[in-house]
Amino acid sequence: MDKSYHTIAFYPQKCNGCNDCIEACARINTGEVSPAHSRIAIVKDSEDGSFGLALCRQCGEPRCVMDCPAGALSKNEDTGVIQWEETKCVNCQLCTLACSYAGITYNPVTRKVMKCDMCGGDPACAKVCGRGALEYLTSSDLYDKWGDMEDLFVPGISACLGCNSELLIRHTLRRIGPETVVATPPGCVAGVGSVGVNGFTATKTPVFHPLLTNTASMLAGARRYYNRIGRDITMLAFGGDGGTADVGFQSLSGAAERGEQMIYICIDNEGYMNTGVQRSSTTPYGAWTSTTPVGSVLRGKTQDAKPMPVLMMMHNCAYVATASTAFMEDYYAKLDKAVAAAKHGMAYIHVFSPCPTGWRFPPAMLIEIARKGVETNTVPLWEYINDGNEFHFTHSVDNPLPVQEFLSLIGKYRHLDADQIDHIQKMNKRRIEMLKMFSEQEERRAS
Amino acid sequence: MKLQARKPFDQSTIPNDLCPIATEYSVLKTGDWRAERPIVDRDKCVKCANCWLYCPTQCIKEKPAWFEANLIICKGCGICAQECPHHAITMIEELED
Repeated sequence: MDKSYHTIAFYPQKCNGCNDCIEACARINTGEVSPAHSRIAIVKDSEDGSFGLALCRQCGEPRCVMDCPAGALSKNEDTGVIQWEETKCVNCQLCTLACSYAGITYNPVTRKVMKCDMCGGDPACAKVCGRGALEYLTSSDLYDKWGDMEDLFVPGISACLGCNSELLIRHTLRRIGPETVVATPPGCVAGVGSVGVNGFTATKTPVFHPLLTNTASMLAGARRYYNRIGRDITMLAFGGDGGTADVGFQSLSGAAERGEQMIYICIDNEGYMNTGVQRSSTTPYGAWTSTTPVGSVLRGKTQDAKPMPVLMMMHNCAYVATASTAFMEDYYAKLDKAVAAAKHGMAYIHVFSPCPTGWRFPPAMLIEIARKGVETNTVPLWEYINDGNEFHFTHSVDNPLPVQEFLSLIGKYRHLDADQIDHIQKMNKRRIEMLKMFSEQEERRAS
Repeated sequence: MKLQARKPFDQSTIPNDLCPIATEYSVLKTGDWRAERPIVDRDKCVKCANCWLYCPTQCIKEKPAWFEANLIICKGCGICAQECPHHAITMIEELED
């Protein structure tokens, strides 16, 4: 097994019925723009005005294939695409009746059935959709490549429902592998049982529990020992924002300045969640926490968040990146670079990490919030590679969504008034402008 | 499944002057926590692996033509149902039997 497939996702709320996808489909398959030749159709609901998609979903157990008496339809086990062979087809149209999604239809012009073939892995409909209503999802590539690697955390750990840290550490260790020493300073990651309690551990690699203040310096020492005995072991820290940006900052700053070889991952959930949601220096402006309460005078935090990843870039780390779990392929690509950079210096990845418990939102909304954070430019995704002086955005920062679309999903921002939202919007803009300056500078230097 | 990890510790190889705090894996059946259970509609599943990608407990298992959650581990957070691009997963209330 270990086989999954690309798919085309449809988000009806983003669709405006422009029919660009239909024309693109007809054009790429026949050269004409007539909708009669299109394998995709967008149907408007006459009652509520919403849009629906009629397109082959390349089902796991396809009814069309089962019902075809001529054997003209078959599922390709490699690509998942259901193929139609014209020479075998007897034109009985039973397949069009079998499909519940109107994915295979009769073309009155050619007098044959037709269906989507995913354009050989580069669907024209998703490419042409400017509103993002059609999206070509390739997350299956990660499953095919990494899915059969062992999860280096035990199956059950006591993290909250929908915990972003749990998701993150499982994927990170799956990618980095067992030749790793993990450090988890005090915080949620250690609290959920990753380090040993009463003789039991949740981590299948060596793991240790430094103080909140000395994570980076302890890893630096361990790495120097392994260098001395000639073993290439990856040093990996999962620090919270407190252990990274507040209390642990002096040891991290020192290790970064010395260029110690390690991957330091900051899981930024914007507060001290493990001890009861207190503010930290990365808590954003306006956010409710238990120490920045909302009452008649105080309306959440009054200061802005510390731009931690930029500070690390200023330390000339070998590699610095920001990441979000909603953009997992981007994160895996960044881990690849971090692993390479950690052979000769420090790799720092700052992961935006929404927390259902501390931020007050339903656990199911975790990924949606992680996605909206990026799309509203609250958390721009970028990376900096010291070797070659590269700085670039890995997700476009042009045309962001209004920041309300992100804030309105989260309970800790429920009290915000118009002035506060305006402040957050302005601050986001200012930070993007600052990052763009780095980006332009690096481009100039490169040219 | 390719095994990556070595056995946690062979206790007999630990020198007497070293005292590791944990030598066994913890076992926690977090399925006990669940208030809602994910049900996969096999007809709708296209095996895109989105549920696996975003499941915090990584309890999604591959079957011949679909994916489904391992209910011994699944905490019932509902992320898989929210993120499934083809709405093949629904959360239903756990009832005492």
